[in-house]
Amino acid sequence: MIRLAILLALGAALAALWAAGAFGDPHAVDLTNRLAGPSPLHLLGTDHLGRDLATRLIWGAMPSLMAIAIVLGVGIGLGVLAGGAIALGPAPLRDSTQWLAETALAVPSLVTALVLSAIFGAGILTIAAALLVTSWAPYALTIAALLDRVRAEHYWRASEALGTPLSAGLRRHLLPNAWPAIGALAGADAGRAVILVASLGFIGLSADTGRPEWGAMIHEYRMFLFTEPRLVLAPILACTCVTVLLHVTLDASDR
Amino acid sequence: MAGALGLVGRLALSWLAVVAAAFLLLRTMPGDPIEMFLDQMSVQSGPEIVAAYRAAWGLDEPLTWQFLHWLEGFVTFDWGVSFETGRPVAADFAARLPYSAAIGVGGMTLAVIVGFLLGYLAALRTGGAFDAISRGLAVAGQSLPAFAVGLVALWVLGVELRWIDAFGGGPVERIVMPMLLVTFFSVGAMARLTRAGFAEVKRSPYFRTALAKGRSRPAALWHHGRAAGALTLIAGLAPELAWIIGGTAVAEIVFGVPGISERVVQAVSHRDYAILQPYIALLALWVALVLHGARGVRRALDPRIP
Repeated sequence: MIRLAILLALGAALAALWAAGAFGDPHAVDLTNRLAGPSPLHLLGTDHLGRDLATRLIWGAMPSLMAIAIVLGVGIGLGVLAGGAIALGPAPLRDSTQWLAETALAVPSLVTALVLSAIFGAGILTIAAALLVTSWAPYALTIAALLDRVRAEHYWRASEALGTPLSAGLRRHLLPNAWPAIGALAGADAGRAVILVASLGFIGLSADTGRPEWGAMIHEYRMFLFTEPRLVLAPILACTCVTVLLHVTLDASDR
Repeated sequence: MAGALGLVGRLALSWLAVVAAAFLLLRTMPGDPIEMFLDQMSVQSGPEIVAAYRAAWGLDEPLTWQFLHWLEGFVTFDWGVSFETGRPVAADFAARLPYSAAIGVGGMTLAVIVGFLLGYLAALRTGGAFDAISRGLAVAGQSLPAFAVGLVALWVLGVELRWIDAFGGGPVERIVMPMLLVTFFSVGAMARLTRAGFAEVKRSPYFRTALAKGRSRPAALWHHGRAAGALTLIAGLAPELAWIIGGTAVAEIVFGVPGISERVVQAVSHRDYAILQPYIALLALWVALVLHGARGVRRALDPRIP
């Protein structure tokens, strides 16, 4: 119910923004209209170069959305594979994967991103790599623990005795058990990905310094914090809204 | 005794693996550090100059020897000089480490103390005010970007209220503010973890027995629950302590603290590998210490853990 409401609200908001012409060029400079307040033409006003703040916010979401897609897609996929290896694999594979997962769990992703940026240069691929290094491990350990638990249950042994193939057994008995746990992890993870992208942008290591990005915007506008707080607060609020929404939509365990 | 020796051995092995991998990655990257160095000094380079530098920096040896030499240097605190500034790296780190350590350790200690008490109070009355506060702090810690909170704090405290000098370099701005930022982002998680430990005790039969014997709820929960609360707190503390390095990095950059992370961010944009290599080694040492140390402490507190 809440998820549907959020989806509808998001769609309505996007449609309204599109109708208001907020999907224009985020680089369009208008020096005669600098630091203008909100108006029907510029929903959130303009920045110090007369660029439309709402338009820049919308385009600035792109790197964050990409990071979310990577974490949710590749991170969970890798985690499920590794979790299977820990729970079902032969002893050497199990022990080494478990060690790797426990180590990866402790690796700070911001610092990984810093080091990788030094090696490969800043870019969306570097951010993606840093996210992947750290994001698969919690899924792997959760899935492995769940698999161990499910395999000790009577219904699992019964289904094994009935000759159900492993893949069908996993789909039937593991997935319904795994989904809430994975959802809770994914909600926190996707939020962290958004914050990581923004932090890197703020430090000056964003994917593409020419394009708008929330963290880079906060960095660029920080000298207007005292005179035009609107410029800094808008990207901060955008960032926070996205992370909170991700928590609420993906994490069903609180309810 | 044998267990302690095994712990140290495993710790050393994990550290060596990570450091060797980082060394290999940094050395096999495209881009010759000597060419980059000569470019930066705008020296007319010839093959004999490059060869001389290669020999002087030990880059003409096989990789294994280079690694062993580097390891020897690291252990004896001979960390080389920064490509960028030409100053010794070890001295640079020694000057900056106290700031980073004060922010990280101070912030974390405060988070553990406040989080433990908050968790106890939250468990005492489930659904009460302290429960709501701890939940709110936990959500805020996960969903707000730390640098943004730091910026807004600077704005509110420095400009609107004028309690602090936003751009001054006093101890309040350089140590206390970043420390509180670190605390703010950890205290919620600490409180929720502690609360979970206390809450489990509340459901147990011996807690009901203690109540039946006439002890008050706060006294009974504190007496019987504090070990369980501490145990879950320590279990969750290890990843938090490892994460703290990222947290202090952001705090240092926002408040302009001359700490290690601030230096590393500069080194990243200049590809200063002489700074990065010892940084990675220190980081790996810290993470390994925290992980293995936490396991040892938990084993000592709870003999049921294998």
